[in-house]
Amino acid sequence: MNSILFLILRRLRRPLILIIVCFSIAILGLSMMPGLDNNGQPWRLSIFESFYLISYTATTIGFGEIPYQYSQAQRLWLTLSIYLTVIPWFYAIGKIITLLQDSALRQAITTERFTRAVASLKEPFYILCSYGESASVLTRTLDEKGMRVVVIESQQERLNELDLAETRSVIPHLCADAKLPENLIRAGVHHPFCSGVVTLTDNDEVNLAVAVAVKLINPNLLVLARAERDDIAANMASFGTDHIINPYTLFGEQLAMRVHAIGTYILHEWLTGVPGETLLPPENPPRGRWVVCGYGRFGKSVVQNLERENITTTIVEATPELTGCNNCIVGSGTEARTLLEADITNAVGIVAGTDNDINNLSIVMTAYELNPKLFVVIRKNRRHNDTLFKQFNADITMQPTEIIAHECLAHMIAPLLAQFLTLVRTQSNSWANQLISELVSVVGETVPERWAINIQESTTPAITELLKQGIPVSLHNLTQDPSDRSKALNLVPLLLLRDNIPMLVPPVATDLRIGDQILFCGTADAKSGLNISVNNIKALTYIIDGIEVPDSWVWRWFKGFLRTQ
Amino acid sequence: MNLEKVIFGFFIVLAMTLNFGFFLGDIDNPNHHHVYELYAAIIVSLIATVLKFGDRTHVGAILLSTSLAADIQLIAAAILWAALDNKMDAANLTAYIVSLSGGALMANFVSVILLISETIGQRR
Repeated sequence: MNSILFLILRRLRRPLILIIVCFSIAILGLSMMPGLDNNGQPWRLSIFESFYLISYTATTIGFGEIPYQYSQAQRLWLTLSIYLTVIPWFYAIGKIITLLQDSALRQAITTERFTRAVASLKEPFYILCSYGESASVLTRTLDEKGMRVVVIESQQERLNELDLAETRSVIPHLCADAKLPENLIRAGVHHPFCSGVVTLTDNDEVNLAVAVAVKLINPNLLVLARAERDDIAANMASFGTDHIINPYTLFGEQLAMRVHAIGTYILHEWLTGVPGETLLPPENPPRGRWVVCGYGRFGKSVVQNLERENITTTIVEATPELTGCNNCIVGSGTEARTLLEADITNAVGIVAGTDNDINNLSIVMTAYELNPKLFVVIRKNRRHNDTLFKQFNADITMQPTEIIAHECLAHMIAPLLAQFLTLVRTQSNSWANQLISELVSVVGETVPERWAINIQESTTPAITELLKQGIPVSLHNLTQDPSDRSKALNLVPLLLLRDNIPMLVPPVATDLRIGDQILFCGTADAKSGLNISVNNIKALTYIIDGIEVPDSWVWRWFKGFLRTQ
Repeated sequence: MNLEKVIFGFFIVLAMTLNFGFFLGDIDNPNHHHVYELYAAIIVSLIATVLKFGDRTHVGAILLSTSLAADIQLIAAAILWAALDNKMDAANLTAYIVSLSGGALMANFVSVILLISETIGQRR
């Protein structure tokens, strides 16, 4: 607020001084002009009367000649005063109006409002340093989960979208360059409730600058950054960026996962999805020879991962010297000749991975005509081409937006989830399938809620209290319904972290200890049920022994008295 | 030498000297205190105030506040004069007005001291 006031005052210095000077000259002169009253006695306006008269003259209100008819000298001076004061007056008013429309002032006001909105946040929040396609998905999901978000974006048009979007809670946003540390500080990097910074712009340099700045300003913050180039990613890692997200590498890994362990893939998709969504069972990509069109960052990642699964690939690339591809067929793949050269008729799958959506669609349509049995993987670059891609309905459509959003959600909603997913990748496909069937039987087929609890005084007072009294609390107790202990809550413990040693799908008989971290997945009802039993010692005691503890001290004493008798 | 600094210093000092000139004399003798001197003191004080606008330093803020204090007392004196002239006894009215301007003089005095101390602090 201060800075705005000072800005206004500084700009108004010149018109204000001009007004003061002109008024003072006019008032002084008028009070000195000789006049005559009704009785013909010499009379002059006092300074106060002159001030009154000049005030109504300068503002063009003009009450006339009061209290007496003026003399020629007074009229002469008044004429001069009119020109002397009216013009500066309008100049000042014009200046004030221009100032109110001034973009610098408006910017100062919005910045000030943003800073105040961020400073007044009283719950944990994340800072998003862009509002592009993936960030908007992320914002929506976090907002639906009741988490607070702050957005900095350099393009006003994108923020207009956010302005129009219906959100549960207010999302403070600022149109500013996130690379500038002062803007990061305004967005709350120093705020005690800031849980992390997510930078997902499509410019690697910007992401790097943000990641570095945040790690220097507040090294304890979680930083999630998108990086497509390896050198940038390495640079980010050297600055301690917590998670570096490369959509192409992620997609390549997921494709490989689909090829060799479809169960693990489904589990992964299911647990990182937006709660409430239903996932369609994905197709299993066939084994055999694949044709990959476009050997850019995306193509390289796909080829690398497919070859790790012992799948041979034929590469089609328009500019092999730029992409460093030694053994490939030169051409864009959009015409039948190149595809035939790549022996498309005997291939099992095609990957259209160029950075041009129309070319990608053209490639797969040509290929489809030549070989209708092909398994089609297509890369989608722009969201506004959605309709075209829906029309084509490929087996797998690679959407960088969704991949990035899912990956971020995994890290942001429950940090344990990311650890769980890493461990899942080391497990076999049948293990994953077994877990999926168990989860589906408990929570149904929609994407479940994931949340973690930390056994400690502040978050789970009921458990710590009982543990301190020496009463064992097992994981099984947490899965019981606090309103009826014979019923089970619809939740499954996925991971238990004790002394930094993870236990995958811990057995329910496990006894809890203070300091344990547990990751659950289940329905929203189960989440609130669990919340009751970890916070309310009465509910937890009921779950463990089936005894209702009396609420009042008198009853408790009375019951204890009866027991001792 | 900086013309802006000259003008700035000039107005601050002039505000004080005019104020002092008006204040000087018997407190209840209307002949010792001329209305135009008060008028000039108010105008110069207002200009000095506006000149201090927009200075974000700590000294600048204190200078602005002393100026505002002087303005308020001088304007109060002028309002008193305009409102009570011919309505009460001249000696009493003059005493009121002059004592108010004395208060403004203190504020202007602080302003000048601040200006001097800042100048000395420059060490150039």
